[in-house]
Parts: sequence; C-alpha cells; structure tokens
Amino acid sequence: MATAMTPGAPARTLRGSGVDRALPYLMLGPALFLVLGVIVYPLIDGLRSSTGFFRFGRQVRSVGLDNYRQAFADPVFLESLITTARFVVLAVTIETLLGLGLALLVAREGRYIRRIRATLILPMIVTPVVVGIVFRLIYASDVGLLASIAHAVGLDPPQILSSGSGAFWGLVFLDVWEWTPLLFLILLAGIQSMPVEPFEAARVDGAGTWRTFVDHTLPLLRPTILVAVSLRAIDALTTFDQVYVLTRGGPGTSTQLISLYGYQTFFQFQQVGYAAAMLFMVAIIVLIGAGFALALMRRQPR
Amino acid sequence: MTRARFGGLAWVAATVAAMAFAVIPLAWMLLTSLKTNREITQDTSLVPEALTSANYVSLFSGREFGAYLTNSIIVTAASVAIALALGTMAAYVLARFRLWAGMHRYVGFSLLMVRLLPPIVIIIPIFLVAQQLGLLNTRLSLIVIYAAFNVTIVVWMMESFFREIPVDLEEAAMVDGDTRFTAFRRIVLPLAAPGLVATGIFTVITTYNEFLFALVLTSTPGAETMPVGAATLIGRINVDWGAMSAAGVIGALPIVVFSFFVQKHLVRGLTMGAVK
Repeated sequence: MATAMTPGAPARTLRGSGVDRALPYLMLGPALFLVLGVIVYPLIDGLRSSTGFFRFGRQVRSVGLDNYRQAFADPVFLESLITTARFVVLAVTIETLLGLGLALLVAREGRYIRRIRATLILPMIVTPVVVGIVFRLIYASDVGLLASIAHAVGLDPPQILSSGSGAFWGLVFLDVWEWTPLLFLILLAGIQSMPVEPFEAARVDGAGTWRTFVDHTLPLLRPTILVAVSLRAIDALTTFDQVYVLTRGGPGTSTQLISLYGYQTFFQFQQVGYAAAMLFMVAIIVLIGAGFALALMRRQPR
Repeated sequence: MTRARFGGLAWVAATVAAMAFAVIPLAWMLLTSLKTNREITQDTSLVPEALTSANYVSLFSGREFGAYLTNSIIVTAASVAIALALGTMAAYVLARFRLWAGMHRYVGFSLLMVRLLPPIVIIIPIFLVAQQLGLLNTRLSLIVIYAAFNVTIVVWMMESFFREIPVDLEEAAMVDGDTRFTAFRRIVLPLAAPGLVATGIFTVITTYNEFLFALVLTSTPGAETMPVGAATLIGRINVDWGAMSAAGVIGALPIVVFSFFVQKHLVRGLTMGAVK
C-alpha cells in the first residue's frame, strides 16, 4: 500500500510500541535542544538586553524602549541604514544582471563545461576575509593591481580607498565579484529545470533568440530570480567580514554598514543595550525579507 | 555557417573573459605573496623579477599560522560532524513522522527562519554568555555555535532528500525484522548519501569561512581560526603587504583545495545550500 509522497505532507503515521514510539522524539531532541540553547535562548536574551542600560558589561537598569528611540535620533545609525540600503540595492542589481548573463552563457552541455562552472564560482568559495585582502591588494594606491596597471599605461594611480565614493563603489564591486556566482548558480539551476516544450515551439515558429528570451525564458525564470534576489539581499544586508577588512567603515562613514556600526557600538563603545537594540531592528528587517522569500519559495513548484 | 562560427567565437571570448574576471584578483594576490616587500612597494611592475617564499616562511615561524590551521580544521570537522549526525536524525523524523501537537508541521519551518537570521543579531548575547561560562578563547565555544547553525542547514537540506526516498523500502526492511532505527541506518541513510555529501560540502565551506563569531569569541592562537588570523595581519597604518597577501593565500588555500577535491559535487552542494 503506497502512500503518495507529496512534499509538505508527512508520510503515514508509523506504528510501533515502546522504543519505536519514543524514537522520533529521541532522534529530534538533540538537534532541537542545540538550536534552542545556542541560538533561540541568546536571541531572547538579546531582546531583553536591548531594553537595558549597561555599565561594565552588567545591566544596571531597565530603560524600556529608550535604546530604540535613541537609534532613530542617532544620525550615524540612520546614515548607516541608508548606506546599507544603497549598497544592497546596487550590488544585488548588478549581481542579478551579471549572474543571469553568466547562467545563460554556460547553460549548455559540452566539454569542459563543468570545469568552467567550477572556475566561475571560485569567488564565492574563497573565505570572505580573504576576499577583503584580495581587494585591498587591488585598490591600494601604492602597491595595488589597478595602480600597477595605471603605471604600465602611463596614468596616475587611481585613489579608490581614500575617497568616500571611491571606497563605497569599491565595496560594491567587491561584493559583485564575490557574489555574482551565487546568483549565477541559482539561476543556472532554474534554467536547467525549465520545460523544453515552449522553446521547441518557439524555434518551430522561427522566433529569434531575443524574442525567445523575453517571451519564454524570463517569464519562466521570474520566480527563481525573485527567490535568488531575496536570498542574496538578506545576506547582503548584514555584510560584515569584507568591509571590516577592506575599509572598517571609512573613510569617514562612507562605507559604514549597519552590521559594522552595531559591532563597533558594542565592542568599541561598550554600549551593550543600544547595540542590541540596533541589531534587533536589523533582525526585524531581515525576517520580513525572509518571510517574503519563503512565501515565494513555497509558491514555486519544484 | 559563418554566423554560427562567429557565435562560437563570441561564446569562447565571453566565457574566457568571465573566468579571467573570477581568477585574476586571486592570481594577483598569489603573485604579490611571492614578491619581496622591496619589490612590492618600490616597483609597480606587474611581473616579479625574483620569486621568494620569505612571506610564507614568516607566517609559520614568526606567526601562528600552524595553530590557526589546526584550530580551523578541528572546529570545522567537529561542528560539521555533530551537525550532520543530529541534523540528519531530526530531518528524518520531520520527513516521516506525525508528531505530538503538530510539531512536524512547524519545527522545520522554524528552523529555517532561525537559519535565515543573521548571526550578528545574536553576537552580543552569545559573547556575554560565553564570558560568563568562561568559554572565551576556546575551540569548544566555536564548535558548539557552528554546530547549532549547521544543524538548521542540515535539517532543511536533508528533509527534502528523505521525502524523495519511498517509505516502502523501510517498511519492507521492518517486515524482514529490522527495527525502525536499523531500517533508517541500513536502508535510508545509504540512499540519502548524495544529500549528505551535498550538505557536508556546503556546511564545511560556510563553517571554515566564518569570521564574526571567531573574531568576537577568540583572541589567542589557542583558539583563533584562519580567517581571524589572516585579518589580524592587517595593520591600520603600516601594512606588511607581502605577509598579508601570503596570509590571504594560506587562509583561502584549505577551502579551495577542499573544493577542488569535491569538484564533482560542488555545484550541486552550493546550489542546494542556497535555495533548499
């Protein structure tokens, strides 16, 4: 007697007695215990400390929602929110366009294709801290790759990390280099799972490459693109490692992303409650985005 | 005919350009790491005159890169192993059983929400708790935290694998006298091996690369991992470019080598980790 294995619906209740009856709980317990203890409990603890005032790492008194009010009156917080939003929108947009191009480029079979794909995703495998180092070595005005190239063709070395807009765009470009491969991978999987019939029909009808792309590829790929964009945007919102290594938020506050500001508020300025409140607001933004992404993923047939 | 050939050429050109875009920044770091500091700072040549291994030697003799490497390997291996063991069992339960109070319906979803939560959100309470427990500067604290985050990924990825395995196979084994657990171990696990491989690859890469928790929780070579070690080499004012680039190469090398060995499953592992 076979049971239909529809995703989302668990299989039939399995019979049994004694150990067999307790088995599911014994098998589920350790994982749940670990996640509850190490992630969920600290989360609740953090929520509590976001309403506190701390001195020397100890909560002195409760201040209610003051820390949250403080954030909205803090120009640095608001500025870093705006910087983060600009960073996410620019980087993810460019990554999506490039990723889509790459996916279309290598969505074919042939010799070397697996090698080519493995090479293209190299940037997202490399340790993010090292990616920061790589781009320091590219942008540095004295020893950088760009300076060397400029020198070789007789130009002045570009000043990237010493100007606000230069550093910001440098960070965007770093992110594009590192994470275009992720968009590429997700979109490639999407392209490979598309039905072939519409494309064969289009070919029979004599539709050109561009028409086929606009009429068939894009609409079929739309759900995948939405999922990929939301997943990447969620991650980009809390970019930390790369900016920590590349600029530490500078020059000035031109690359001060929200996660870096939260980190510094805690570890440099020792404002525990305020930092916790700030990071909680980030969490809320992320969870709204995540809920959106999950809703999309559930709707997508797979 | 000519148009097709032109298309082929354009394809090759575009593909080569894309690969160059991916590789050249890394190659530049490798090249810089092989130059002497004098050559790095004084000549702006693209090609080094003489190659040196001095930058690498200094990482292991004057600095603690041997210790960072050991810590990274221990922390990654232990936390991934724990997460695979616990997460696989949990995923199996969620895929197969109806649980008390409808738990099978919301536990998986809740774990996914936890997974999407950015780690920086709980960095403050984690730091305070680790401080209270005297767990700062220990590999144990990193192992436990990484294991917890990895469990959420393992459950999410493996649950869908288990759903694709027909339940009849286990029932046949149980008719033949297996207990529920032996049926899981003997029949289901081997069938889910591709899923375990994909999940293992994804978690190894993300765990090895993790920086924030390691930065906050460790500050001595007894527990610091590779990313932290590489980041501490970056001075604010005086930069030892040779050592920094060598640190970058050594820092990324283990995970790049790992990826090379699992090449065949890499693309699938990373794709599934991202969207599943």
